[in-house]
Amino acid sequence: MAAKNGSTTIEKEQIFGMAEQEMEYRVDLFNRLTKICFDKCIDKRYKESELNMGENSCIDRCVSKYWQVTNLIGQLLGSNRPPM
Amino acid sequence: MAASDGEPQAATKEAEKPKIEPLRLPTPEEIRGQDIWNNCAVRSVVSGIMGGGLGLFMGLFLGALDNPLMQEEMTAKQQFIYTAKQMGRRSFSSAKTFAVMGLIFSAAECVVEKARAKHDTTNTVVAGCVTGGAISAKGGPKAACAGCAGFAAFSVLIEKFLDRHD
Repeated sequence: MAAKNGSTTIEKEQIFGMAEQEMEYRVDLFNRLTKICFDKCIDKRYKESELNMGENSCIDRCVSKYWQVTNLIGQLLGSNRPPM
Repeated sequence: MAASDGEPQAATKEAEKPKIEPLRLPTPEEIRGQDIWNNCAVRSVVSGIMGGGLGLFMGLFLGALDNPLMQEEMTAKQQFIYTAKQMGRRSFSSAKTFAVMGLIFSAAECVVEKARAKHDTTNTVVAGCVTGGAISAKGGPKAACAGCAGFAAFSVLIEKFLDRHD
């Protein structure tokens, strides 16, 4: 009984550690995505405070492409464990 | 003594600094509103209506200034009615022209800007060319080219004027 309790505590800690790592990864992904798409799409001279249509569609495309690239690279890294 | 006096002063200065406001992300209603406004069809229809309103007023104004008919046969009242009818006809045709102009210009600019994903003067130039060409298309290809160039230049001037004004 005591051994079982010990292993579940270790498991819980492991799961918590993984969740924390995943959270950090997500936050990092969000920050990078925002920075890259902002630098790419939005003019440095701010003429107005609202996003105009060109910037809106640029951001849509930027986020979509970034997400696809992330997924693709994640798949490639995940499938081929030994380095090519 | 000097060190202990310095610290409370620094603390009060920190408290006097303005509070940083929390980040305010847009609500779903705001996003939906922006999406509706970014739709090309909605934008062009609204621009067409605004162009129609503008054309109405301009037509009324110009129609009133147009012909001071001094026909001796009609009485003052008949002259008034005739002028009023003239104004109405003129303003209606002018409203139609302006509405079509506004619709085509806004639709072209919206489509071009969405395709290019950039906010530039090139969008205005292309949209102006399309509008001018469409309006003067009846006169043949040469008239269409002239209309295109003229209206494009006019749109760029208006855009620069509006930007500087803001």
